Amino acid sequence: MVNIVVPVFIGGALGAMLREFIMLMVPNLVDNFPLDILVANLVAAFLLGLVTALHRRQIVSEGAEMLVGTGIAGGLSTFSSFVYGVGVLMLASAASAVVASVYVVISLVLSYFAVTVGLKLGGQGSDRLSPM
Amino acid sequence: MTPLDVMWVGLGGGLGSLPRWLTRRVIGEHYHGVFPVGTFLINVSGAFAIGYLSVLFKVDWRDRYGTALNAGVLTGVLGGYTTFSSMQLDAVKLAGKSGGTPAASYLLLSVLVGQLAAVLGGTLARAPG
Repeated sequence: MVNIVVPVFIGGALGAMLREFIMLMVPNLVDNFPLDILVANLVAAFLLGLVTALHRRQIVSEGAEMLVGTGIAGGLSTFSSFVYGVGVLMLASAASAVVASVYVVISLVLSYFAVTVGLKLGGQGSDRLSPM
Repeated sequence: MTPLDVMWVGLGGGLGSLPRWLTRRVIGEHYHGVFPVGTFLINVSGAFAIGYLSVLFKVDWRDRYGTALNAGVLTGVLGGYTTFSSMQLDAVKLAGKSGGTPAASYLLLSVLVGQLAAVLGGTLARAPG
């Protein structure tokens, strides 16, 4: 139990702080497009795909998968800020509702792609794995 | 942004991640269907909470640090509790098992219901009494 709670807590804390740093570094676009949240979600999606595939191939332990996948990627990505930002933009004006719709579609499509790329990268070379 | 903000965000993110892990685990033990119920419920409840708390405490949606509430609860706990990455991994798995239409439906349903939950939360916070 402790072997799961500790990595999830530490990973979640690191992920959330990383998201905060991304928010500070990524510039805000015109039209209130939340580029910072998009970047955080994309990085997290890639990371989760990567560590999931590596764990499947038993290259990383369950503890590492908990730390990076459930902890860091889970803490880094956010649905609450994503969906709340969309809601605010949707209700603000017709123009910002268009921005919100574009934001939703881009977020969903690119993050899906990022998970897939992570899974592919992490799963690569499985045929080359042979006992020494 | 101060070191104190970073501490609040980290503490909140760690605390928010634990119920996410626990909820997914408990639901995974009792529900064996293909629809990712665990992540869906987590994200919808987190969306409700951010709508409710943002309106109740009059926090602008772009203000994410500066106070213990912004940094610790909204950015930290709710950001750590809800997840976009697991939702996308669920969708990739669902696409592999059941096809692209259920996967896309799951994503769109999450966004739609999540938005309704956030609006409902905000409306309740505005209600008198």
